[in-house]
Amino acid sequence: MEIAVAKEYTRNRIHPKKFALLVACASILMMFAAFSSAYIVRQAAGNWLEFSMPSLFYVNTLVIVLSSITLHASYISFKRGNANLYKGLLVITLLLGFAFLVLQYQAWQQMVAIGIELTTNPSGSFVYVISGAHAAHILGGVAALLIALIHAFMLKYEVTAGRKLRFELTLIYWHFVDFLWIYILLFFTLQS
Amino acid sequence: MANIATQSQPEVLREDMLIEELGFDDHFHDHHHGDKYQSNFINTYVFSQDHKVIAKQFLITGMFWAVVGALMSLVFRLQLGFPEESIAWLKPVLGKWVEINAEGFGTLSQDFYYALVTMHGTILVFFVLTAGLSGTFSNLLIPLQLGARDMASPFLNMLSYWFFFLAGAIMFASLFISTGPFSGGWVAYPPLSALPQASQGSGAGMTLWTLSLVFFVVSVLLGGINYITTVLNLRTKGMSLWRMPLTIWAFFITAIIGLLSFPVLVSAFLLLMFDRGMGTSFFLSDIYIGGQALDHVGGSPILFQHLFWFLGHPEVYIIILPAMGLVSEVLSVHSRKPIFGYKAMVYSIMAIAFLSFIVWAHHMFMSGVNPFISNFFVIFTLIIAVPSAVKVFNWIATLYKGNIRLNAASLFAIGFVSMFISGGLTGIFLGNSALDIQLHDTYFVVAHFHIVMGVAAFFGMFAGIYNWFPKMYGRFMNDTLGKIHFWGTLVGAYAIFWPMHYLGMAGVPRRYFSFDSFQAFAHFDGMNQFITIGAILTFAFQVIFIVNFFYSIWKGKKMTTRNPWGATTLEWTTPIERIHGNWPDKLPTVQRWAYDYGKDGKEFISQVEPLGPDEKEVH
Amino acid sequence: MTVLLVLLCVALITIIVVQVGKVTELASKIRGEEEMQEAANRRHGFYLMAFMILFLVATVVSTLYYKNYFLGYGPHKSASAHGGTLDYLFDVTLFFTGIVFVITQILLFYYGYRYKAQRGTKASFISHDNKLEIVWTVIPAVVMAFLVISGLDAWNEVMADVGEDEEYIEIEATGYQFAWGLRYPGADGELGRKDFRLIKPGSNDLGIDWNDERSLDDFLPNEIVLPVNKKVRVRITARDVLHNFYLPHFRLKMDAVPGIPTYFVFTPTKTTEEYRQELSQYEEYQVPADPTDPESPMLWEDFNYELACAELCGRGHWSMQKIVRIVSEEEYEAWKATQTPHYEQLIKGTDDDPYKEDTVEETTEEVEESTSEAEAPASEEETEEAH
Repeated sequence: MEIAVAKEYTRNRIHPKKFALLVACASILMMFAAFSSAYIVRQAAGNWLEFSMPSLFYVNTLVIVLSSITLHASYISFKRGNANLYKGLLVITLLLGFAFLVLQYQAWQQMVAIGIELTTNPSGSFVYVISGAHAAHILGGVAALLIALIHAFMLKYEVTAGRKLRFELTLIYWHFVDFLWIYILLFFTLQS
Repeated sequence: MANIATQSQPEVLREDMLIEELGFDDHFHDHHHGDKYQSNFINTYVFSQDHKVIAKQFLITGMFWAVVGALMSLVFRLQLGFPEESIAWLKPVLGKWVEINAEGFGTLSQDFYYALVTMHGTILVFFVLTAGLSGTFSNLLIPLQLGARDMASPFLNMLSYWFFFLAGAIMFASLFISTGPFSGGWVAYPPLSALPQASQGSGAGMTLWTLSLVFFVVSVLLGGINYITTVLNLRTKGMSLWRMPLTIWAFFITAIIGLLSFPVLVSAFLLLMFDRGMGTSFFLSDIYIGGQALDHVGGSPILFQHLFWFLGHPEVYIIILPAMGLVSEVLSVHSRKPIFGYKAMVYSIMAIAFLSFIVWAHHMFMSGVNPFISNFFVIFTLIIAVPSAVKVFNWIATLYKGNIRLNAASLFAIGFVSMFISGGLTGIFLGNSALDIQLHDTYFVVAHFHIVMGVAAFFGMFAGIYNWFPKMYGRFMNDTLGKIHFWGTLVGAYAIFWPMHYLGMAGVPRRYFSFDSFQAFAHFDGMNQFITIGAILTFAFQVIFIVNFFYSIWKGKKMTTRNPWGATTLEWTTPIERIHGNWPDKLPTVQRWAYDYGKDGKEFISQVEPLGPDEKEVH
Repeated sequence: MTVLLVLLCVALITIIVVQVGKVTELASKIRGEEEMQEAANRRHGFYLMAFMILFLVATVVSTLYYKNYFLGYGPHKSASAHGGTLDYLFDVTLFFTGIVFVITQILLFYYGYRYKAQRGTKASFISHDNKLEIVWTVIPAVVMAFLVISGLDAWNEVMADVGEDEEYIEIEATGYQFAWGLRYPGADGELGRKDFRLIKPGSNDLGIDWNDERSLDDFLPNEIVLPVNKKVRVRITARDVLHNFYLPHFRLKMDAVPGIPTYFVFTPTKTTEEYRQELSQYEEYQVPADPTDPESPMLWEDFNYELACAELCGRGHWSMQKIVRIVSEEEYEAWKATQTPHYEQLIKGTDDDPYKEDTVEETTEEVEESTSEAEAPASEEETEEAH
């Protein structure tokens, strides 16, 4: 059910649903802020095993940034009437999303290989938990992409205001989890 | 002479004309004529996406949990007030949690005592005073008072209620499992909460408790997102921020606080779950228990406390601010006077909200935190007393030279202020760390938070229910019964919680199953009996309220005019029989602030009334 | 059966409530809404005043009635050096909050009564007064600032750890489910190292490291005994979950955290005897300690300082009591002399004794010496054979 929102009296130029999503993103950010401060406080207390981030974390950064680009390109194609490009790029984005999850798991394996398991030392524990919580949010994004993909292939191609909005919402969320990953990796790298 | 204002027919017609001529036409009903939105029972009453129905769902669920939480407190008060009396008679209800000895004497199992205390706190703080209070009134009033058709996302709103329901169902289930419900205090400090060996309730009960609360947080966040978006995006034409009623300011700022603080609780719980089940050491170190030295090394229980209280403290403001908003509105309407110092009240809410984020460690003065850090928390904690005091003075000034209609709603609002004064002042003792050395974890703390939360916030809720019941159901609750409810509860609540200050000042610790082990704490049998009897009697008065509430839904006196209180705010311009979309045709356009009571000799001036030729707007 | 009775009561209340409701609604139809409301306003206005008076009187009277149980009042003046400052701070806070309490409650209820709506009354349109806002913002701010400054002054002094050159007695309390393990440093004045991995129930409940020489004279009493007027540093730890070391009469409280030792420094200033003497002056304490046995000693005679736990730690949280005795310095020394180091009592010569080899040799030598002394003439051949 949609609430008809007339432009004349909305306070912002942002559509209410987009605004709502941004508010939700702020909320999610707070959880990671909490993790970050817990990390910093614990690190300061000593008994902290230093180690370098697994290389796959950096590879994954490229993967997720690329997926943001492909999704954005898909969105532009959608608006411009290029149905095939729109659908194709959407597929690629979804595949990259899956790839991210798989590679994250393998990055964890890299950590285990150098002796950093979940319970070895808090420094490792935090990395597992934080990257895991992020991966859970990526999973949510993948679910949204899946739905977008199903719509792309099942519905007749048509650029309506409703569909554009849904795409924009998916796009905002995906960019958000992308940005979140970059923050997390920067944080880990700078802190160690 | 003020009474239940029978808004006269001409006034009603004038309002309708103003809305027709000056209102905003969003063609809402063109889009929603015969839509699937409310086509069957399930859509209309169960998975409703109408904010008014959702508000009632929150209210009734909240009331259910209030009864459960209160009954729990009666059981553990029986233990504290009458430890020599057998409670074997409760065995049919409590089963194995009542231990019967050879002579047939029944005592409450100690584990279960602590489970009751834990559940009482959890249920009342989260399910009743957060969901039941904010959930009900934010949902009911935000669209109605802002001139919106519904919330920004009715679908998310519906989900918000059902996540709350789910959280409740899980918590309810946890009461019946064999190892018992969680019993480590509503604050769930590790290592106690992390180790099933430390307490029965820290087994499966704790897992369910945490799961329930995670779903609860989802519910709060979904609701909060909606409230914020609706306030910022869906106000009707002319409704600038400074024309919003104080209720909306309160709900809006509360939602922001919730959005920023609840996720931190989730992070604390996630880390705790890892410590519990995956062997990590975020919060655990150097533990020998159950005949074993555990592997966890390097963690700090104090870290959990920081993360918990980062939510925990703003949480109590999430509880009290909406109650304050409701009280401001009720006092103003029934005094036929503007709320005194509207802008000061708004700024106070903002100041309280901001400060609430930097005082959390006043719950941790005696936790082993570096004493130097506590200095800052003392400073900010005592500063937060200032905007709180300002609000009290403004409420009192609202009554001054008013023309007060003393009905159930306004009496509860007055009672709120009395309770907030009493409970707020003891906060000043506790916020001063030097005094907290003595008072921490004693009954003085229990007195303080019960009076501000357990009573004041409840009074705000009652004031809101009595005042807006007509808007919810088109009928009135019986006011005489409401007044009886008020006086019984006011006297009863003070009877229960005031003596607890004395227990605290005598050094009696909280969360004690029995005081028999200590000479120092054993002098207070009479007082404990008095408190328990007070609790039973006060609960009896709540039965009056519950009966009144449900009876009035179907048999209460019907509303004959749509604005019985003679209020200025927009919700009273909607028809008596609630409709989807709130207004039958156009949306009202707002021309002035919400508090023109008694201006220019008029009892009240609706917000839709344009300013007169020489009239100046107050703000 | 009782449950049935309770349900019956609830049903009865329900019926009564509904009937009362119906009656009042009928009355209002008959007499008219306006008149009913006006009468109600008058009635409840009076009730507000009546409540206010009863409330204020009850609070003052009950406070005075229970005064002699409050810590800081009557016989319960602080038994520690820092406690007096805290009690005074409490009084100051009570003074300011008491004034605010009385004034605001009176104004609140009085205005509710004074401005109740009656025939012919009207409200005044007063929306705000910025000057007033400033006044009632600044005054509380000033009072708070004063409380903060005095409070933090006291806080930083009380919580400071011992200085480098200070003389003090250090003792240790370890909280566990559900009692306290107490440890004194013995003659060397220093507590030995401990580690939770060394815990052995029955022989080494605290995990004391016997390799640390300082541990060898540590003793583990069943009560806390301290000399009056000597500075004490309590080292507070926990073995399993959070506990809290709480000495109410000394205004002392600190969480016991597993893995993170905490501390509290204080100086007891009243012996148990002195405190008892103070209590004996008060009626509340001139009663038999056991109300069922009139022959039992008086409450004041029976008094003892106690240690309690003040952080929820599980089902037995309420039962973690230990007696604390403050005695003269001579009595303290005498008491210490009666305490045997734990190492001597339970560890020496056992498998847990890291010095076992040395002690066995020592003991064997001692035995030889004593046997040779006892059987001087004929023993030499035997002892040689024994070798």
